[in-house]
Amino acid sequence: MAPPRKRSLGLALALLLLIVSLVAGAPPAAAGPISPKPPHSPNAEDINTLYWIGLVAIVLLITAVNVALLYAVRRYRADRGAEPRQVRSGRGIQLRAGAALGLLALVLFVLSIVYTEKAREAPPTGPNGLQASSTLLAQRSLKLPPAGDPAPLRIDTTGQQWLWRYDYPNGAFSYYRLVVPVDTTVVLDLLSTDVVHTWYVPELAGKFDAVPGKINHVYFRADEEGTYFGDAATFSGASYAAMRTEVKVVSPDEYQSYIEQQKRDIDAAQQHVIEELKGGTAP
Amino acid sequence: MSPTPATTIAPVRPELVGDGFPSKPRQRWVEIATSADHKSVGRVLITAALGFLFVAVIELLLMRLQLAIPENVFLPPQTFNRLLSLYGATAIFFFALPLAVGFFYYLVPLQIGARGTALPRVGQTGMWLFAMGALVLYASLLFTPPEAGVNPLPPLSDIAFTPNNGTDVWLASAGLATLGFVFLAVDLVSTLRTMRAPGMAWRRMPVFSWAGAISSWLLLVIGPVMLAAIAMLMIDRNFSGIFFDAGSGGAPLLWQHLSWIFYSGAYMLVLIFALGALAEIIPAFARRPLFHRGTVIASLAAIAVLGTLSWMQNMLSAPISIGWMYFAMTMSLALIVPFGLVLFNLIATMFGGTLRMRAPLLFGLGAISVSSIGLASEIGHSMVAVAWQLRNTTDATAATHYALVGGAVFGGFAALHYWYPKLTGRTMGESLARISFWTMFAGVNLAFFPLFLAGVEGQVVDAYKFYDHTGVNAYNMIATIGSFVLALGIVMTLVNAVRSLKAGPVALPDQWGGESLEWFAPSPPPPYNFDVLPDVRSPAPLRDIRDAVAERTGDRARAGRTGQPVA
Repeated sequence: MAPPRKRSLGLALALLLLIVSLVAGAPPAAAGPISPKPPHSPNAEDINTLYWIGLVAIVLLITAVNVALLYAVRRYRADRGAEPRQVRSGRGIQLRAGAALGLLALVLFVLSIVYTEKAREAPPTGPNGLQASSTLLAQRSLKLPPAGDPAPLRIDTTGQQWLWRYDYPNGAFSYYRLVVPVDTTVVLDLLSTDVVHTWYVPELAGKFDAVPGKINHVYFRADEEGTYFGDAATFSGASYAAMRTEVKVVSPDEYQSYIEQQKRDIDAAQQHVIEELKGGTAP
Repeated sequence: MSPTPATTIAPVRPELVGDGFPSKPRQRWVEIATSADHKSVGRVLITAALGFLFVAVIELLLMRLQLAIPENVFLPPQTFNRLLSLYGATAIFFFALPLAVGFFYYLVPLQIGARGTALPRVGQTGMWLFAMGALVLYASLLFTPPEAGVNPLPPLSDIAFTPNNGTDVWLASAGLATLGFVFLAVDLVSTLRTMRAPGMAWRRMPVFSWAGAISSWLLLVIGPVMLAAIAMLMIDRNFSGIFFDAGSGGAPLLWQHLSWIFYSGAYMLVLIFALGALAEIIPAFARRPLFHRGTVIASLAAIAVLGTLSWMQNMLSAPISIGWMYFAMTMSLALIVPFGLVLFNLIATMFGGTLRMRAPLLFGLGAISVSSIGLASEIGHSMVAVAWQLRNTTDATAATHYALVGGAVFGGFAALHYWYPKLTGRTMGESLARISFWTMFAGVNLAFFPLFLAGVEGQVVDAYKFYDHTGVNAYNMIATIGSFVLALGIVMTLVNAVRSLKAGPVALPDQWGGESLEWFAPSPPPPYNFDVLPDVRSPAPLRDIRDAVAERTGDRARAGRTGQPVA
């Protein structure tokens, strides 16, 4: 009976090694379907690193349970004719197993805190970014860069059924599409005027809820110009699936001209309405 | 007359035999509706749960059909949202919980050697409250079904945003069912406290009864929390309350805290039920005692406590402070230890045993395999930064469904196949069970594994459509096909259960060579459960009897095989 036992144990070990090396060793970009969307901000990168750490632990545990299960089923069938061993575990085995699992939990705990703290830091605006200067408010749940660095760009982001509204510092606003400068720290102050919504653009940052009566923050520093899409991620009623958003990352100059143009357009439209009201031709 | 056997301690209750019995049996439905016998109540709960499993599967299939192709128009958004809300309520309140509670309510009194429950009318009321909840929910199909989602978060579920009475229906039905489970838990807790057979010390109780005790205490904690939340939202909706109204000084997040305490606890309850059942099934089919009873029982208790305390794991994207997020993460990562220890002990029990690969064991091993994938994936959802990426994506749907389909469906079916002989006096057809198992096993992986990948790509939950060119088309198509395969497998077992009521092979009192007292009673047990009870001197009273018989009859092979601990 010895050789088959050795063979299946070796097989199981080989399978385990194969899966672990496939997951841990493969470069994230090449891993294909199990890889999240490529990160385009330092926060998203930290989140991704922690994702890969978690995935290794997950695959390790799933493999351990299922390989042990398969091995037991193949090895200890009733038709092998042996008598069942009537032994129970002593306390030592249980303590050791518990300690091993506890150690795994501890390692995951420490790594999670390390990378969550990194992902929580608002990265300072880089040299190619928008060099704005405004006074900062201390935020409880957001670690902002030191006072000397260029201040982050703050944009009020309001969730409402079923649109996102973005209010820029100069008074301009836009719906659905957010335009931000590249290499600039952006802080979105999330608000909601009706129900709970979740702002979620995977490439730039995690997801954060907009809850009525509370302010939440999203922060990212986009490293590349481009357009990124996101969906709202908390069920918010009939047209929930249609509540999408788009983040357009442009150069600082383009950003400036965009918000100025937007401001002019809005002012002109308002002026038009005011004149119609005055002239009595308003509908 | 021969001398009384040494094991007999209690005579038949004289009022239960002889002239007192009605000569003409009452009609069946009258019997079911009026009986406060824990077996009748338990059977109603289990039957209803399996019926609602079928309903939930139909709802799931309709939603999966809508999500088969991008930007599908098979279902209008409102219909999809109604199906989603019905599915969420049905799967949790009318399938998973009543199945677990039903099995506990049927079996725990038998396992602890009681002739009934301590407060039978309280338990019966619980069953009726549950039935009323189900009636309210499905009567709403005739007027306005709920449409505020799986967990109706205020302000969306408040009167301003869902003015129709669908949400009131949800609240009333979930409230009635929860109150019913609390009533049943009260009865179970009292029964466990006061009605254990002589010699049945707490430390000798079967692991499944321990799971029942832990689950009942858990329900006594989480049930009232949900009832409070439901009462507050009903007041908000109907009497201009401001509990969850941010504009008037209320807190929308309060509902999230209270409801997630309940949902996290209920999630753990279903898994405690499945693991408790496996701790009976695996030793019976491996013919080995459980590797370490104490660890398994302590771990189940730890799962209940830590799992409920990790409720904020569901709120990691909400505006709560980072300290609370780390608290939730600590609690849910700590769950690795008790879950790991239970699975370790269950698998270690098989090592060195002789496995009879019958349907209960097959479904039991399937439960371990499937739920291990879901439970491990939950680790990702507890690590705060990863949760910011994966929470509320279909990755979360997949993790929850792997864990709960593994626990409630595979684990529930393992329990069903294992205790079906006790419940009905017949065994379930073995070959159909096997086909059903492999169909379900293929189906669950096809239906939910692609959702992991879609979630990593960023597909969000609960949405009535997804968009083309987001890289998730293939995943959703496979998931839809897989859910049909899973449904086929589930229906096969349901058909098997119905058919075996009449056609199944007649069962023995101790069909599988179990070790706990329910196998001492006839199959199905009489209303008073036991004529006589053995003296309970160990956690395995039936093994003691077999050993005593072997010793007296001189069966050397059998004698002296009692499990001895190794150092």
